Amino acid sequence: MTLRTLVLSSLCSLVGLVWIIESGAADVFLEATRPDFQKIPLAIAGIDNMGGAESPEGRVKLGSRIEEVLKADVRRSLVFSLIDVQGLGIKASSLGAEPDPSFKQAAENGVSIVVWGKAGIKNGNKDSDVSMDGYVYDAGNNEVVGGKRYVGSTSVVRLMAHRFADELVFRYTGEPGIARTKIAYVSELGSARELFVMDYDGYEPRQVTADGFLNLMPRWSPDRRFLVFTTYRNRNTQDIDLIELATGKRWTLVSQGGLNITPALSPDGNFLAYSSSHDGNAELYRMDTHTKAVHRLTTNAGGDLSPSWAPSGRELAFTSDRSGGPQVFLISADGSNVRRLTFDGDYNAAPAWSPRGNWIAYVCRTPKKEYKLCLITPDGQKRVQLTTGSGVDDSPSWSPDGRHIVFSSTADGKSHIYMINVDGKDLERITFTGTHNSAPTWSPAS
Amino acid sequence: MKTLSAIHVPLILSMLVLVAPACSKKAVQSGGDHALQEQMAREGMAKGGVSSTFPDTSLSGRDEANNLRGLDRNPSEERLGGDAGGSGRNGSGTTGNHGNTLMAKADSGAAARQLAEIRAEQAASVAAGLRDVFFAYDSFSITDEGRHALSNDAEWIKSNPQAQLKIEGHCDERGTSAYNLVLGEKRAKAVRNYLVELGIAPQHLSVVSYGKERPFCTDHSEHCYSMNRRGHLVVKTGK
Repeated sequence: MTLRTLVLSSLCSLVGLVWIIESGAADVFLEATRPDFQKIPLAIAGIDNMGGAESPEGRVKLGSRIEEVLKADVRRSLVFSLIDVQGLGIKASSLGAEPDPSFKQAAENGVSIVVWGKAGIKNGNKDSDVSMDGYVYDAGNNEVVGGKRYVGSTSVVRLMAHRFADELVFRYTGEPGIARTKIAYVSELGSARELFVMDYDGYEPRQVTADGFLNLMPRWSPDRRFLVFTTYRNRNTQDIDLIELATGKRWTLVSQGGLNITPALSPDGNFLAYSSSHDGNAELYRMDTHTKAVHRLTTNAGGDLSPSWAPSGRELAFTSDRSGGPQVFLISADGSNVRRLTFDGDYNAAPAWSPRGNWIAYVCRTPKKEYKLCLITPDGQKRVQLTTGSGVDDSPSWSPDGRHIVFSSTADGKSHIYMINVDGKDLERITFTGTHNSAPTWSPAS
Repeated sequence: MKTLSAIHVPLILSMLVLVAPACSKKAVQSGGDHALQEQMAREGMAKGGVSSTFPDTSLSGRDEANNLRGLDRNPSEERLGGDAGGSGRNGSGTTGNHGNTLMAKADSGAAARQLAEIRAEQAASVAAGLRDVFFAYDSFSITDEGRHALSNDAEWIKSNPQAQLKIEGHCDERGTSAYNLVLGEKRAKAVRNYLVELGIAPQHLSVVSYGKERPFCTDHSEHCYSMNRRGHLVVKTGK
């Protein structure tokens, strides 16, 4: 059995395990993400620096920078366990494109994959292209199974590491990886709130809108080309706009007066679900993005908002206060079969359906009146609180691999963006500048 | 209070019927690009609530250039494009992020214009001596103190029959951004409904919810929270 098929079968058995446990006893903590799935032991021997080139930011050697980004990506993949290369007797500087005798010993010490490479500035000129070579040794075959050679401007140094990390994940799981995904979010500029997009690790933030007032709650199109969001036209009315990231071109999708909030494109991009109060109070609507036909999904005296599509596109989770405080409900995509999902506590909102379908993340108010993240299965059988402590947590959004959640929190005072594994481990703050970063939303994988 | 809000629901609904035509009429009458945009949006609305054309958001438009190419025993050179769209450094045939993130096509005048208009509104509202209404946690019921403030505001509106008022609903930072927009709208509408009870014609009043997105005060204290849970009355200037 090759390593790849071994991993795939492990992932399959993981899925099987989840279903067995879900149908069984309660009170099991997040077994879906504390699997028997063995991470693949991977050692990064180093990215050797050719010719003393420095990274674009200076201070750090180019190879060291790529290595640092690659290690963080590999760690966050949750597919590999990063083995400390110290003591394995491997020196990146002495490695070429061939397997080194030291790899054999590393393999005997349990390492399955050794990764190494070199990076430098072409022609030794500071304005020239950067190049990176990466190699992958597989202990199962005892050979170098392949490599990559990237070139590009100094602005793509981090992207080289991200792309190489995703190639590793793809090679060993068949999934595209998350290292090249993006996070769209809202950040404060003066008294305005504008849309931004950054890399999934918080680097390379780029401003998307510059309207000078409020742009809120962005969501990605499934092809990553567009964001849908709420914009305050002339400060007094809320519309739902679409912006094309490559050009900044904008279209107004919904403009009806009243609240027009929480837009969400279906997984196939053919429908837009949103909440509008133009007919009295906030109700859910579904627009066909081709014919522009609008279908009303809910009719009741309470507010209905925050639709989140199931990966199948056949159902949505949403927030409704029809029974008093806000609670999470489910509804079929045609508006039928509405049922309440959350019953613990008097405030549950902002549901986000996992791309794997097995969990719905949402904001839950605890008995101590703290706003934290909770997870619940779509059948309501299992519920767990994911985050703890002080600070208001909001806007959970899943990574496309279903292993992480990005969210905003005021845990450190000002609102910033954090990510956490679905098992509650590896809480990581990813924004450090700005006075208010909120409403993160994770892009699909490419 | 529960019974009061129950009584108000049909009132809100009937009010909307009255207010909506008045709003659209006003938008068409006022000048400037934004009025034009509003007018266009409203024309689109007649055809189903949307603007007339927008692009294909389905997965059929997917760009394949970003796909992984796999490890290779003899890797050929793969050129990565940056994602700073329009920087001019992305040669054709590059891979990477298929240039799908951009720098803002910044309307540098937008922020300054908005700020000037907000300041004009604030000055007019201060000059009018309008008082805000404050709400309890999780609540959109008008308190006795709020009724007192609104009686004051109603007197000013009656003696300034030309004035158009905007009622902003605000929330404190607790709770979700999304649900606070709904709560803010309930607060703004509660204020509007009480002003109408006091005899103000609904045509003079518009409501907008800012949820927790435009806080009056940014500390994490109960005092600050109570300042932010408010219905804020603004005299519209110009638009």
